[in-house]
Amino acid sequence: MSIRPAGDFKISYAQDMAVLDSTFNRVGFGALLAALVLAPFWLREFIFLLTTIGIFAVGACGLGLLTGFTGQISLGHAAFMAIGAYASAIITGSLGLPFLVALPLAGFVSFIFGAVVALPSVRIKGLYLAIATLAFQFLTEYAIIHMAGGVGAISVRAPSIGSWQLRTETQFYYMLLVVWVLSGVIASNLIKSRIGLAFMAVRDRDYAAQVLGIDLLYYKALAFGIAAFYAGIAGSLWAHYSRLITPEHFSIVTSIDYVAMVVMGGLTSVWGPHLGAALVILLSQGLKIITPEVIAVLPVFAKIATPLREIVFGSILIALLIWEPGGIAVLLKKLKRKLDLWPFAY
Amino acid sequence: MSEFILGGLMNGLAVGSIYALIALGFALLYKSTKILNLAHGELVLFGGYLAIALSNIVPLPVAIVLTLVAAAVLGFAIERVVMRPLFGQPLLSVIIVTLALGYIVRGVMVGVWGGDTRQFPGITGGVLSIGGIPIQRVGVWSAATAVTLLVIFWLFFRYSLAGIAMRAVANEQLTASTLGVSLRRVFAYAWAFAAMAGAVGGILLGLWLGVNFALAFVGLKALAAVILGGLDSIPGAIVGGFAIGVIETIVGGYIDANIIYGFKEIIAFVIILVVLMIRPYGLFGTEHIERL
Repeated sequence: MSIRPAGDFKISYAQDMAVLDSTFNRVGFGALLAALVLAPFWLREFIFLLTTIGIFAVGACGLGLLTGFTGQISLGHAAFMAIGAYASAIITGSLGLPFLVALPLAGFVSFIFGAVVALPSVRIKGLYLAIATLAFQFLTEYAIIHMAGGVGAISVRAPSIGSWQLRTETQFYYMLLVVWVLSGVIASNLIKSRIGLAFMAVRDRDYAAQVLGIDLLYYKALAFGIAAFYAGIAGSLWAHYSRLITPEHFSIVTSIDYVAMVVMGGLTSVWGPHLGAALVILLSQGLKIITPEVIAVLPVFAKIATPLREIVFGSILIALLIWEPGGIAVLLKKLKRKLDLWPFAY
Repeated sequence: MSEFILGGLMNGLAVGSIYALIALGFALLYKSTKILNLAHGELVLFGGYLAIALSNIVPLPVAIVLTLVAAAVLGFAIERVVMRPLFGQPLLSVIIVTLALGYIVRGVMVGVWGGDTRQFPGITGGVLSIGGIPIQRVGVWSAATAVTLLVIFWLFFRYSLAGIAMRAVANEQLTASTLGVSLRRVFAYAWAFAAMAGAVGGILLGLWLGVNFALAFVGLKALAAVILGGLDSIPGAIVGGFAIGVIETIVGGYIDANIIYGFKEIIAFVIILVVLMIRPYGLFGTEHIERL
């Protein structure tokens, strides 16, 4: 009998680079995927929650790459989502192109906008960049309202793949699931590639990265572009899901929600944006569902019901950031470690 | 046309003086704590709402004093409960926390006092005429108050011990703390001061325009003022405030009326973008030179 140490050991480069690097992760991911595929059966009428989470997770994934891995702060992520949504609405509406063409095309339109917005990021950094993107957010909102006229509302056709119309919630969900998983897998592969390593070098110290031969302008623009691409895809999905879009959907509040998702989920984790999106959406939708029931029991409560979402959301955000600045991803990691070692402390 | 410009200049300077006051709190907080307080607009809102609610119970001057005290307490509370545990956390976390703080303050304000516009009781909106230019009486009063306060704050930072300590911390945190300045106390003062400046701005704007939750938007105009003047410059914030007030009233008002509707609301952001493109450190801000 040979003596083998317990645990997963990476003994080849391929193993070291694998996205799912341990048996636990592989089994866990498989189980998660199965649960998501079977979700319409166990969630039933609440499947809309998962659809919303999925759409926002795709967008948050992009912001995660930008903020978590490239270190660029953006308070205007919803603006890119809006650009994607309106582009998609115009492409399927006025131009009459099919949804499957419009989806990546909307992403590319956002990509171009993202790359252009990134150009000043070489000159302005940190706080100043955050403020510039904030201004971009407001200007985009304003531009859309003025170009679309009225309140800027525009109706969108139901998505179809070939001759197959996606009419029901469940059909849309399965289409979304493919995009969602794909975007997550691409993002987690990207950060292990040359591009991802360059992003992290830029994040850690941009001048040092430049000395090492990383073209700052190229990689910052690329990071913004990729983030905007993800947001554009999310916007396109949202447009075809809600079928009626107004700039209200993509206001500064959505931008803040996005940043909250990324920060709460965990900035430097590929899982972070997805966890964060789930938390934020469940929180806001859950509060929306719970408040009418609470008012039914306590009518005094009605006056404070509308702003309650803001108050609870803000409080949880602050509490989580004080308790665990690394976000949910770090919390889960700590929990796993505790369970691994249980009942011993170390 | 010249009447439009002169009138715009007067009204712009009046609004600008309030912006300057709000921006001053913002800049001071940034200077001494390096926190970009995106909840500053909500502090303005807090001042406006609380002063109106109190002025229904007690006379206006008492209400204003009570509001200032409450604002200072709020500032201390924010520093102690929220910001101190986050000391040294990355930039983004702190920005997010201020945004969340804004959510909470605005939520509570709207929850308690409702969303519709409120007016201060017993304020009559007469129109004064200075050199043939019509200007609202309340505007003149608030401008005078704002300018007086700006002078008082300047004297405070110039001569009082607490003010000097705050300037020392703003100049160089580490050195100031080795020389015995308590960073915590300065941070607490900075928050209290920012909350008070915001609250005064809220009261003055409330006297002029009435209070509703759109008042929080003013925080973003103060941001534009601070960016224009330079984030870490106190005189810059004041000049920026006046400049934003005038530009908004004249240029914004002109384009708004003649070219595209709604431009007045957005011009602050255009200014932000233009300034960041051309001179990111603003008019008077220190140019940041990075070395490896």
